Amino acid sequence: MASRSIVKYLARRFLFLLVTYIVATTIVFILPRAIPGNPLAQILSNLSRVAQAKPELIRAAERTLMEEFGLGKPWYVQYFEFVSKAFRGNLGTSITFYPRKVVDLVVPVIPWTLMLLLPATIVAWILGNSLGALAAYRRNTWVDKLVLNTSLVVSQIPYYWLGMLFIFFFGVRLGILPTQGAYPQGMIPNWSWTFVLSVLKHYVLPFSSIVVSALGGWAIGMRLMVIYELGSDYAMFAEYLGMKDKRVFNYVFRNSLLPQITGLALQLGGILGGSLITEIVFNYPGTGYLLFRALTTLDYPLIQGIFVILIASIYLANFLVDFVYAVIDPRVRIGQEE
Amino acid sequence: MFATMIRPLFKNKKFIAGACIFLFFLFLGLFGPMIYRVDPMEMTWDYEKPPSPAHPLGTDTYGRDILAQLLNGIRSSLYIGFLAALISLVIGTIVGSLSAVKRGVVDDLLMAITNIVLTTPSILIAILIASYFKVRSVEMIALILGFFQWPWFARAIRAQLMSVMSREYVQLSVLAGYSDLRLIVEDLIPTIATYAFMAFVLFINGGILGEAALSLIGLGPTKGISLGIMLQWAVLMEAVRRSLWWWFVPPGVAIVAITASLLIISTAMDEVFNPRLREE
Repeated sequence: MASRSIVKYLARRFLFLLVTYIVATTIVFILPRAIPGNPLAQILSNLSRVAQAKPELIRAAERTLMEEFGLGKPWYVQYFEFVSKAFRGNLGTSITFYPRKVVDLVVPVIPWTLMLLLPATIVAWILGNSLGALAAYRRNTWVDKLVLNTSLVVSQIPYYWLGMLFIFFFGVRLGILPTQGAYPQGMIPNWSWTFVLSVLKHYVLPFSSIVVSALGGWAIGMRLMVIYELGSDYAMFAEYLGMKDKRVFNYVFRNSLLPQITGLALQLGGILGGSLITEIVFNYPGTGYLLFRALTTLDYPLIQGIFVILIASIYLANFLVDFVYAVIDPRVRIGQEE
Repeated sequence: MFATMIRPLFKNKKFIAGACIFLFFLFLGLFGPMIYRVDPMEMTWDYEKPPSPAHPLGTDTYGRDILAQLLNGIRSSLYIGFLAALISLVIGTIVGSLSAVKRGVVDDLLMAITNIVLTTPSILIAILIASYFKVRSVEMIALILGFFQWPWFARAIRAQLMSVMSREYVQLSVLAGYSDLRLIVEDLIPTIATYAFMAFVLFINGGILGEAALSLIGLGPTKGISLGIMLQWAVLMEAVRRSLWWWFVPPGVAIVAITASLLIISTAMDEVFNPRLREE
């Protein structure tokens, strides 16, 4: 029975994600066409203006652009071509890096972003939730006040600005850590110890700036959650029964953690947005840095491609978190049965 | 009634601290540019100078006065924050209360839209939209940002209003033949007033942080100065790696001080109005 309700719940979530993804790709499709001044036409005219430089390359780029955006065909044909291509992983050709395919440009940088984002998110989540629970457990003591007040301020520090401060203190002033890139310039990625070590060294500052700035938000949320749960009927009842504080707190802790798991899913998108800019500040070779280069050159196929991939990965992450949630908390499944 | 609600707030130390910091920055933004009359865009030959009596916060690569940029930046960032917050609040209130009152198909549809916007990372969509406009006004940035941060609020007030809908006095109003609009305005909205105010405060934060993020990647307002645009220039000109701390520290401090003070205000309100959170 239980497993069947999980399947039903997940099927529902999956359907929702599918719809969401179609909506997202639709937005990506509609925007350039709906905005007055038609940005696509502008790129085309820009391209022909600089055509003196490398006429044959530019003209080829222009042709692929026309073809890939399906300009000239009726809009619904363009739309279906766009969405069906996106689903098959065909995201077109970059203009700036012509004739390289968008997919071939994006896929190699994804591991760098994932390597930065996933551990940082998880570490911040664990640390933040532990701190928040500790603060709630020691309610109204100096520990609580310290955690709450520091978190209130720290949670408002933008990731990238904290990164700038870190670069300044640890990189420039103290000179103990590298300030940009994921590895020294000129080094070719390989599996040697020297390379791995230098990657780790370059990793410290961007990683810690994301962890520190994300930590406070989790701590505040968890503290609130635990305080609410401590006032709930079951916790009061357990207390009146004379159960040890620690034991009651254990139950409360587990229940408080559940909403934080949903929060994790929702925050993934936000953290991704923050880390995109962190990458720019650190010149870290991930998706954010690639997006920045695409934006500065108005390489729309590349911009769109990065979005389609990023949005898809966020939805996927959401789905995975939902899956975990459904396994942990039976109420989620039962709630869906009504 | 209003006085009895406000009074306990002023007994809360956190609220007073947060309000003081915020009012200070509001004052800087409103009157700063009038008192310190230096053109933030004027280029001088005094470039990249550390703080001195002539330029209290130093100058940037183009010899522009940082203090003048900061004061004007605080002004436009606050303006964007307020505008974005207003837009989010209006959309959130309309969607949330319509959902709660109409139920059925309207509710399903509105909640589906809400959930889609909620799962789609707002900053990504904002970047995408902003990238298609060559000229971006301050108001346009506020609109783009305000348009994507309402979903959590809509969902929260929908849940709250659903429970309000089942109370007797609302039922009476329904029996009396109130229109949906009158029901929402007279019976429902007052019950979420403090909550809406807290949300408004957080929306301002979202607007200020969103503008900073957009500007930093070169997608902020194309005219004038904001805290984000200051940071963008600092990043472009490698101010950090070249130790020009007076350039990138002040705008960051202003962002953190404003957003943190607003967060402290909303946390304090939560403590005051939420019996469970009241300190014993």
